[in-house]
Amino acid sequence: MSPVEDVSGGNVGEIILTFDQATVDLDALQRSAYAVAADMTVDIRLSEMDYVCTLFARHPGGDDQLKHRFRAEVNDQILRARIAKETDPLRNLVFALAFSRTGLISAEDAGESGAKDVRGPGAET
Amino acid sequence: MIKLERAVTTLSPHGWQLLPMRFHRLDADSVILTNLVGEHVFVTPDELVAVVDGSCVDQEVLARLRAAHLIQVPGETLPAELLAIKLRTKMRGLSDSTGLHIFVVTLRCEHTCRYCQVSRQSSSKSEFDMSEETARRALDLAFRSPSPHLKIEFQGGEPLLNFPLVRWITGEAKRMNSSHGKDLAFVIATNLALLDDEILEFCADEGVDLSTSLDGPQELHNGNRRRPGQDSWQQAVAGIRRVQERLGQDRVSALMTTTEASLAQASEIIDCYAELGLRGVFLRPISPYGFALRDRGGANYDVSRWLDFYATGLGRIVELNRQGVPMVEIYASIIAKKMLTNTDPGYVDLASPAGIGIGAMVYNYDGGIYASDEGRMLAEMGDHTFELGNVHDSSYADVMLSDGLLSPLMESLALSAPMCATCAFEPYCGADPVFHYATAGDFTGHKALSAFCQRNMGVFTLLLRMMRDDPYFRNLMRQWAQSC
Repeated sequence: MSPVEDVSGGNVGEIILTFDQATVDLDALQRSAYAVAADMTVDIRLSEMDYVCTLFARHPGGDDQLKHRFRAEVNDQILRARIAKETDPLRNLVFALAFSRTGLISAEDAGESGAKDVRGPGAET
Repeated sequence: MIKLERAVTTLSPHGWQLLPMRFHRLDADSVILTNLVGEHVFVTPDELVAVVDGSCVDQEVLARLRAAHLIQVPGETLPAELLAIKLRTKMRGLSDSTGLHIFVVTLRCEHTCRYCQVSRQSSSKSEFDMSEETARRALDLAFRSPSPHLKIEFQGGEPLLNFPLVRWITGEAKRMNSSHGKDLAFVIATNLALLDDEILEFCADEGVDLSTSLDGPQELHNGNRRRPGQDSWQQAVAGIRRVQERLGQDRVSALMTTTEASLAQASEIIDCYAELGLRGVFLRPISPYGFALRDRGGANYDVSRWLDFYATGLGRIVELNRQGVPMVEIYASIIAKKMLTNTDPGYVDLASPAGIGIGAMVYNYDGGIYASDEGRMLAEMGDHTFELGNVHDSSYADVMLSDGLLSPLMESLALSAPMCATCAFEPYCGADPVFHYATAGDFTGHKALSAFCQRNMGVFTLLLRMMRDDPYFRNLMRQWAQSC
C-alpha cells in the first residue's frame, strides 16, 4: 500500500528504507517506530520528498525480516489512520451519547466529598 | 401459520459506513476486528482491506460486521445508540468506586515464602499488628465509598495471627452497616496453618469466606512456601478440606503463584486442584516486586515461558471439562466476561481506568493507606509513591483527590496511551500503573517493551485463536463469562 524503496549501501549494521512523503504520513512512521521498539530502533529523517528510515536491530541477524516487520507495521498504521479518519466523528458521538445522560455528575455531589469527581475520564464528556 | 419473512439487506460496494473499529492480525490469514466495546469478528486480511476500501461483495462478511456494529448503512442511528448503551453499561462500575478494602491486620507471618512481596516479621513482634483504633478509622473511610458492595479482605502477613482484630472488625463493620445498608462481604486471605475450630465457627456464624495459597503438588508448594516443619502444603490441604466440610465446597478458594519451578508442572498443578474439589484455578505469574526479584525468589523466567505454561495449564483445564470435571481458569473467565458480555468484571489488575484506589484500597497495619497491595510493597522497599495518606489524619477527600491517586490513573489510561489507543484488545485489557512504575519508572510504560502488554497480548491471542478454532472452547468461555 505504501510506495517504499529499499536502499542498500548504508553503513554496516544499518538498514535503510525510504518512504514517499506524498503517500506516507510521518505520524504513521513514528507510530510504527514505537510499535517495533522491542525489535529495533528507528531513525527517521526527511530527504527532499522522502522519509528515510534507518533501522537499527536490537539483536543480530535477520535484516530482511526487520524490513518486512517495519513495512508491515507501517502499512497497518496507514490503515488504522484511514479507519480513524473515517470513524472519529462517530466515535465521539458514541462517547457523547454514552456519558451525556448518566447523571454521574450532579451539582450537589460536585463539591462535597470529591467522591463523585474521581470516576475517571469520559464521565464528563 | 404465519411465516415471517426474514429481511435480507444486500449491500452494494461503498454502500456502508465504517464504525469505530480496531484490528489485530492473529495469523497470516486471520484478523480480529473489535468494536468500541470489544465485540469481535474474525475476517481474512483481504476482507479487512475490502471492507475499508468499500469493495467487499461478500454479503455474509458484511452481515457479520453489521451485526457486530463494525459497519452501518448510512443514515442509521441505532448502531451508535446501541454502542453508547453498551459502553455506558461497561463503565457503570466507575460510579461505584472502591468495592474492595484490604485490611493488613498484621505483618507477622510464620511462613517465609520465597516470593513474598512484603516484609516478613517475626510472629512474636506484636508491634506489627493493626490496632482497633486504626481499624476503626479505616472502616470509617471504607464506608465512605459510594459502592453499594463492600468486600473487606483480611490480609497479612498471616491475618489469623491477629484473629481477635479480624473478629472485632467483622463485628464493627456489621454494626456500622446497619445504617448504610451495603452488600457486605468478608474474606480472610490465609495460609490456613492456624485454622482451628474457633475460627471455623466464626466463619460459619459470620459468613466469612476463606482464600488460601496453593501452588500445586506438595514438593513444589513446600519448596516455595517455607515454614517450620516444612509442612505448608499439608496444612493448606487439611485446611481446605476442613473448610469444605464445615462451610461448604465453594467457601474456600485457592490462588497459586508461578515460580520457575512451576513452569514444567502445569498439568500437575491443575490436577492437584481438581483432586481437592477446587473448581477454579488462577494461573498467575509472579509479581515482579519485593523478594520475588531476589535470586531465589522464583521470578527467574520471561513472559514467553509463562505463556507456554499458561497454554499448557489451560489445555489441561479444558480437557478436564471435556471429561465432565467442571473447572474454571479464573483469568480466562475474567477476560471472557470482557470479550463476550457488556459487563465489566471489575478485576482491578485488568481495568482502565486502573483499579488502584477506585477498585481497591489497602489499609496497612500502621494506618498507611495504599492504592494497591503492590503499592504497599513498594513502600516496604522505601518507595512511597502509592501511599495516599494515613487513616489517622487523612480525610476521604484527601485520599481520593490526592495526586498520588489521580496522576497514575490519568497518565495510565489505556484509551489515550500510545499503542493501547489503537489496540484491538484495549476493551479487554487494563492499565497497570504500579507494574509499569516498578518496571519502567513511569505510570504508562513503553508498551512495546512492557511485560504486562506482552503477557496480556499473548493470553488474548491464545484465547481468541482457541475460540475461533474450537466451538467447545468458545461455548466454555461463554459459560465462564457468567461465572465471575
